[in-house]
Amino acid sequence: MAYGLLEGVRVLELGGFISAPYCGKLLADMGAEVVKIEPPVTGESSRGYGPFLNDDPHRERSGLFLYLNATKRGLTLDVGTPTGMGMLAELAARSDALVHNLHPTEMERVGLSYESVSRGNAGLVMASITPFGLTGPYRDYKAYDINLAAAGGICQGLGEAGRAPLTFGAPQVGYFAGMAAASSIVMALLARETLVAAGEPGGQHIDIAEVETMSGVYNGPEALMAVYQWRYTRRTGHHALDFPYPNCILRCKDGYIFVGSPETRQWRTLLELMGNPDWARDARFTNRTVMNNEYADEIDGYMEEWLMEHTKAELLAMAMERRIPLGPVRGFDEVRNDPGLADWFEEISRADTGALSFPGVPYALAEAEVRDAAPAPYLGQHNEEVYTGELGFSHEQLVALHQTGII
Amino acid sequence: MTERTGLEWMREHKGPLAGYRVLDFGWVLAGAIPGMVLADMGAEVIKVETRERLDYMRLGRPIIGTEMDPEQHPMFHNVNRGKLSVTLNTNEPEAVGLARRLAAHCDVALENFSPGVMERLGLGYEALKAVKEDIIMVSISSHGQSGPLRDLRAYAPSIGAMSGLDSTLGYEGERPLGLKHAYADITGALHAVFAAVSALYQRRRTGRGQYVDVSMLRATAATMGAGLMEYEATGRVMAPMGNYDPTMAPYGNYPCMGDDRWVSIAVGSDEEWRGLVEATGQPEWAGEDRFASRYQRHRNRGELDERLSEWTGSRDAWAITELLQSHGVAAMPVMDAEERLHDRHNLERGLYREIEHPALGMEPIFNLMWNLSATPAAIRGHAPLLGQHNRQVLCDMLGLSVVELADLEERRVVY
Repeated sequence: MAYGLLEGVRVLELGGFISAPYCGKLLADMGAEVVKIEPPVTGESSRGYGPFLNDDPHRERSGLFLYLNATKRGLTLDVGTPTGMGMLAELAARSDALVHNLHPTEMERVGLSYESVSRGNAGLVMASITPFGLTGPYRDYKAYDINLAAAGGICQGLGEAGRAPLTFGAPQVGYFAGMAAASSIVMALLARETLVAAGEPGGQHIDIAEVETMSGVYNGPEALMAVYQWRYTRRTGHHALDFPYPNCILRCKDGYIFVGSPETRQWRTLLELMGNPDWARDARFTNRTVMNNEYADEIDGYMEEWLMEHTKAELLAMAMERRIPLGPVRGFDEVRNDPGLADWFEEISRADTGALSFPGVPYALAEAEVRDAAPAPYLGQHNEEVYTGELGFSHEQLVALHQTGII
Repeated sequence: MTERTGLEWMREHKGPLAGYRVLDFGWVLAGAIPGMVLADMGAEVIKVETRERLDYMRLGRPIIGTEMDPEQHPMFHNVNRGKLSVTLNTNEPEAVGLARRLAAHCDVALENFSPGVMERLGLGYEALKAVKEDIIMVSISSHGQSGPLRDLRAYAPSIGAMSGLDSTLGYEGERPLGLKHAYADITGALHAVFAAVSALYQRRRTGRGQYVDVSMLRATAATMGAGLMEYEATGRVMAPMGNYDPTMAPYGNYPCMGDDRWVSIAVGSDEEWRGLVEATGQPEWAGEDRFASRYQRHRNRGELDERLSEWTGSRDAWAITELLQSHGVAAMPVMDAEERLHDRHNLERGLYREIEHPALGMEPIFNLMWNLSATPAAIRGHAPLLGQHNRQVLCDMLGLSVVELADLEERRVVY
C-alpha cells in the first residue's frame, strides 16, 4: 500500500541494512519517488543477511531486503570512485533529498559530504545516519545493533540480575533512525521555501545518530532514574521494580501472556475473574507496589495456577469483555495469521519469488488515494532507465561503466 | 504554511515547523511525544488537559513532600516541554465549544484516547473539519480506529507482546521477558509524526486536510521485519535466543571487571575477527580450527563466548572498548542511565539539557537529537504548569475577556 502525500518528491537512498532503507521505505510508501543506490556485484548488506526465501541464500531472495525496499527503483554505483561520486552528484542535482548511512570514516574515504553532493543543488536536503553522529569523541567508532542497544540503554534493563544483559531478538535500532531521518527530511522540505524566500540556499544537512534514537527519544527520560534513584530499569527478569503488581509476562495454558492492571478497577476485575481467591486477602498483599517488589515470585505462582487453566484466546476474550489489559505473547506465525491484520499484510509478487506477504504501513489515511506497492528492485534493475533515460548516458558509456565496475 | 507565520517566526524560532499550530489532546506517553517533537521543531503546541481526569503522566509519587502534586512528575516534564497548557473540562459542552474554536486556529490536531471518545465529545475529525476545513487530525490508538480489537484495553507492554516483539526477548530456550521500555508507544508516536508532517507537506501543495489513523500494533509490527519475514520466507518462528545474530559471532554482552559491568562486542567480517585476535594478544584459542572461519565461529559460538569472556572478565569495559575500536572492532560498554547522563560523547553532543522547572528546579531534559543544520530543533521551554496558558490562549487567541475567563473557571468549564 502506498499513499501519494509526498508525490513529486525525489529521493536518493545510498546505504544498506535497515536504517537508510527504512527511511526510504517510509518516504516511498508516502508516494515519494525513491531511487536506491547499491554497490555493484554484491548489493547492499541486507541482501546477504536473510532470512532467505526457502533458505536459498541468494542475494535476490532476502526477505529483509524485499520488505524494506519495495516500491523503490534500484541502481548500482561504486561511489568510491571519482566517476561514481561524480554520477552521485549528478543524481543529487535532480533530487530533493539524499539519505545515506555510510559510516563517517567511509564518508571521508569516498569524499561524501554535504558540500560535495549539493554543489549543483543548493536546495538539497541530505540526511546522514551514522552510529554515533557526525561529531563527538565516538564519531569514528564502529557499531552493530547490539552495540547501539548497549550504549543506548536497552541492554542494562533486559535480563536477570547476575546474568548477561540481553539485547533485542533481531536488529531494531535502524528502524528508529529511519523514522527520525524520514520525518526530518519532510520537515526540512517544508522549511525549504521559507528559507529560500529569506535568501538562504534552502537545503540542509541532517545528522542522525542511531545510538541517540535509543538514548534520546526512546529512553531519554531515564536520566531521571539516575537523578531520583528510580529503579525500574534494573535487570530483574520478567518483573520491573516499582510498578504495581501485575505488570509482567506469565505462563498460561498454551504459552505466555502479558498481564497488567495499572488501574485499581482492572486489578479488582482480574481478581473477580479468578474467583476472588483467598491468597489475595493475605495481609502482606495490600499494597500492589510492595506486592511487586517483595512477593512477585510467590504471587506469580498463584496467578499462573489460574492462568494455566486458560488459553491465550480465552484470556484475550476475557480482556475484551471486561476491559482489562491482557496481551498474549504472540509468535510471528500468530501475528501473521491474526484475522484483524489480514488486510494489513500486503501481497507483492515478483516473477522469481512469486507472491509474498509483507507488513503494511502503520497508518491509514482517510483522504488519500491508496496505490499498490511495487516489488523491490533486482540489483541494478533500473540502471538503463535512469542512467540512459534520465542522465543521458549513451548505451556505449553504460557498457563501459559496467565493464570498469562503476555500475 | 499559514499566513500569520513565515519568515519572522522561523527567524525567531528557527525550527522547520515555525508558524504551525497544533492542538494536542495527546496524553501519557504515546500521545505526548508527537506534540513534543512538533514543539521542538518550532510549532506552537497547545496541550488540552483537565483536572477532571489528569494526564496519568502528571500522577505518581511526588519528588518533594508527600502530597500528590501534578507539577512534580519529571517524565511529564520531559515529554511535554515547550508546550502551552489549557485546561478544558470536556464534560461541559461549553468547553467542547472552546476546543472547537481553538481548532479553527490550528493546523494539526493530535489525540490518543480510546477509539470513539473524540466523536462522542463532538471533537471527531468531521466536527473539527467543520470549523477548519484543511485541518490535519492524527489519532493514535492501540489497535486502530476499526477492526475486532479496537476496544481492547492496551498499553505499550501488551502491544509489545501482541506484535511478536516479546516472543524473541529472553535467554536461549527460556521464557520471554518483555521490555522495560515502552517500545510500542515510541513506534506509534514516531510514525504519527511522520504521517503528520507528510500531510502538512501535501496540504501545502494541494490545500487539502487529512485524517491519520495510527495503530500502535501495526507501527510496532512494521519494525519486526526480520521476524515476520523469517516466518514468511521459511515457515520458522523465532524464539528467545539470548544475544544472537544469524551472521555474527562473537555477538554478545561480555562480563568485565567491576560490579555488573559488561561490554558488547560484535564481529562480522574476517577483517574484524583479525582485529579482535590482534587486540586480545593473539591467544592460542583464537588459532584453533573451530574458530577459523565465520561459519566455524558461528557454529561454535558458545565456546567462543566462553573464551572471550575469560579475556574480558579481568578488564575494564571502557579499556576494552577503546582497545577493540582501535583495531576496527565494534564494542561499547553496556551503559546505564547515570553513565549515559555523564558520558563525554553525550555531553559534547548535548544529549541532555538542564531546564529549570518551577516546581522542581533544574532537571535534565533529553534533546530530540534530530539535528537539522539550517532549522535546528530546540527545547523551547519547560513543561507547562496545569492551565498555565489559559489566559494567553483563551483571551489572546480566542478573544475572551478576563471576566469571561474567570466565570468559566468558576463554573469548572475551564478546569
